[in-house]
Amino acid sequence: MGKVKSAIITALVVAAVVILSLFAVISCPLNEVERYNSFLSSIHMGSDLTGEAYALFYPEGVISEADYNSVVTDLDNQNRQEYIDGYTGYLSVYVDKDKYGSDFADSVANDAAIISARFAEKGYSKYSVSVVDNYVIKVSVPTNFTYSAYKGYDNTSRSNELTKVGNTVKYLTLCGELDLRGGNDDAATTIIPLKYNGFATFFSGANYYAVGGNHYVRINLNDDGYRNLNNIITNLSDGSGYFFIGDTSIGLQLTYGENITNKTLTFQVGENYAKDYSIILDSVINGKVLANDYNDGGENTEIIAISPSFGDSAVVWLFVLLLLVLVGAIVISILKYKKLGLINALIAIAFSAIMITAIMLIGIQLTVAGAFVLVLGLALLMFSNFRIFEAVRKETLTGRTIQASVKTGYKKSLTTVLDLHIVVLVVTALLALVCTGELAACGFILFLATVASYVLHWFTRFMWFVVSSPVKDKFKFCGYKREVLDDED
Amino acid sequence: MKTNFRLSSKMHLLIIISSAIIVIGLLVGTVCQCVANGFFNYGEDYASYKSVSVTYVNTDFSGLEDTEPVDKIKEFCEDEFSKQGVKSYGVTVGDTNTGGTVIYKFVSSTDSGKLELAAKNINGNLAEFVNDAAAANNNFATAMTAETLLGGGKTIAMAAIAISACIVFHFIYFVIRYKLTMAFGAILADVHNLALFLMLIALTRIPVGSSIATFAVATVVLTMIGTCFLFDRMRKNFKDEDLKKLTAFEIVDKTADESFVLNTVMPACLATVSVVAFILLSISSLSPLAIISPVLCSFISFISCAYGTVFFVPSVYSRFKLIGDSVKSKSRKKAIKTIQK
Repeated sequence: MGKVKSAIITALVVAAVVILSLFAVISCPLNEVERYNSFLSSIHMGSDLTGEAYALFYPEGVISEADYNSVVTDLDNQNRQEYIDGYTGYLSVYVDKDKYGSDFADSVANDAAIISARFAEKGYSKYSVSVVDNYVIKVSVPTNFTYSAYKGYDNTSRSNELTKVGNTVKYLTLCGELDLRGGNDDAATTIIPLKYNGFATFFSGANYYAVGGNHYVRINLNDDGYRNLNNIITNLSDGSGYFFIGDTSIGLQLTYGENITNKTLTFQVGENYAKDYSIILDSVINGKVLANDYNDGGENTEIIAISPSFGDSAVVWLFVLLLLVLVGAIVISILKYKKLGLINALIAIAFSAIMITAIMLIGIQLTVAGAFVLVLGLALLMFSNFRIFEAVRKETLTGRTIQASVKTGYKKSLTTVLDLHIVVLVVTALLALVCTGELAACGFILFLATVASYVLHWFTRFMWFVVSSPVKDKFKFCGYKREVLDDED
Repeated sequence: MKTNFRLSSKMHLLIIISSAIIVIGLLVGTVCQCVANGFFNYGEDYASYKSVSVTYVNTDFSGLEDTEPVDKIKEFCEDEFSKQGVKSYGVTVGDTNTGGTVIYKFVSSTDSGKLELAAKNINGNLAEFVNDAAAANNNFATAMTAETLLGGGKTIAMAAIAISACIVFHFIYFVIRYKLTMAFGAILADVHNLALFLMLIALTRIPVGSSIATFAVATVVLTMIGTCFLFDRMRKNFKDEDLKKLTAFEIVDKTADESFVLNTVMPACLATVSVVAFILLSISSLSPLAIISPVLCSFISFISCAYGTVFFVPSVYSRFKLIGDSVKSKSRKKAIKTIQK
């Protein structure tokens, strides 16, 4: 390859990597109002990095100490005596005297177990459900903030994420049986004319799927349900029947005249709701119904976002760590392989920029474990390349030219590198498909990293050829010496 | 780096070391399952805890000039906790619609009475500070006891299924691409390293969180990478005409020595990254205790991988190879006899 061709290709590749890296890492204000948020600051983070959101659920008949005190200390409050007579204090809560007792506490504990099982289906990287002072349920989930949302540079994204958490928390803590009603507001109590006891018994389960960017809830009918549902639809008085959990409509509707031809009902639902609907429906259909109503049907639930356990600036320090790892990889490769090390450094930078872009575009939630997986991916690439460089060095010691050594070195190490990547690729694909939450995210990140590593491994050879073509002393270029072969690998 | 461990002659010693760790870990875990808080020492993610949370309204602290309301609240709380002689292991702050909340977490064995008294005194301080009876109800400290459910059950079950599937795949792939004895070596490496990791976690009583499943998977993935390097080199050495004169044990020892650097450098690099992560995140975190657990877990994961792949597996594989060769020679003799008949 000629000097000009080599220079043009090298310049283009370097420019592409630099531009991608700048877009990936640098955030800056565009004007007084707008701001460009880098790919890195647009990656969704786990609760260890950008905190979690929690909500407290008070069952009907339980109030907080603060609420109790606000009424009781107000001597003009009309309800004061009612509160004093009606409630009894237990730790930090006040419980209706008629309900107070171990049976009520047990029912709250059972509800917490059901809620925990529902949240487990959501696939959060981390969540917790606790029973506070025997009568209150506390649910904590990741806020899923990006760094820019966490720091307040992107308030739209911040409020969107909190709204999503709010919706999820609302729907997954709904109390009551599955019902079909003739109106779509909470007040509509018109049950369809043909009232079947236990509408949930029509179904065997519900699940969620997405195709082509559309999100669906699929409810599976059992034999009885399949037989009877067409009758119900024919008798819908006002044209539509709406799915309710307790007194809350979940926005799924059956239309008059609709013909059910198979044993599934499929509803297209908004992205933010589809999974929540399928989880709550599946839970209720399978008899997991909450015994108590919490926070007036979820209407009075306050979502509170709290700081991460790793500290406010954990994201920054994690980024510093990743940067140090990258710099370390670059320095080692340059010290050991001179200009060939520079090519390897370019590939390492490209790998980092590609991974940041991919994680941002796909919307994978990054946690500290995910960052370690990224380091593992970079290590895979670096080890594959270093192994090749050493294999080529060995070949040069047998008296071959660099070109011949590169060809033989790559040929001899092909199976090792291929085996390594195939094993890791299949394993990570299994993890991403089978696991949930943080593990699935880590599996997916390593899957992407393995693909990127293998592609960039071959791209390294291409760049090696392009950059070294016009160079006269190719041994010096690669940092190799003509020396006696030793046994060291 | 040249080493000369002669691992094949040390198989019994290595088996004793591994078995001892696994058996002691199993015993400690089982005893703790019966008398303490579980087979593993469940950390912050799963542990029940006590807390004192203070909710405040920003406007009631408008008199502060150089201090944020949250700092004033923290000052009240920390004074009171030190008076009561209780120590929190984590503090988080959050925003509410009107102000914020500060939550101090304490281990579940903390004296509830002291926390309730601290909350009461904090309320007194807050009431005195805001100097308004109505406002005092909005700036309120509460001591709570939270019983956390083991919500990671599904995650761990799915991780177990995924790890099993990965190990089966690893075995099948090695049967196809390498040899049956190597496939057995690979499966041994996976199971041994994973067992070692889990038992060391049970033995050392490091508080484990939801990330234990991630580190268990990392152990298996790193082991797989290590076995790829080890058995690839092993296969090449067994095919090498120059090494034909060596015995199977000598070739295994030579391969183990050759792949020593390769199989220790990656776990060592990752362990270094863990240490750097701990140092950096300690700067950020208010409580280094929150970080030490995942860092120690990762450390144990890398140690298990390095020990299992570099020392244990080659030593046991040398016997697998011996058995494999003996079975092969027997079947060859049988075939020759059949042909002769």
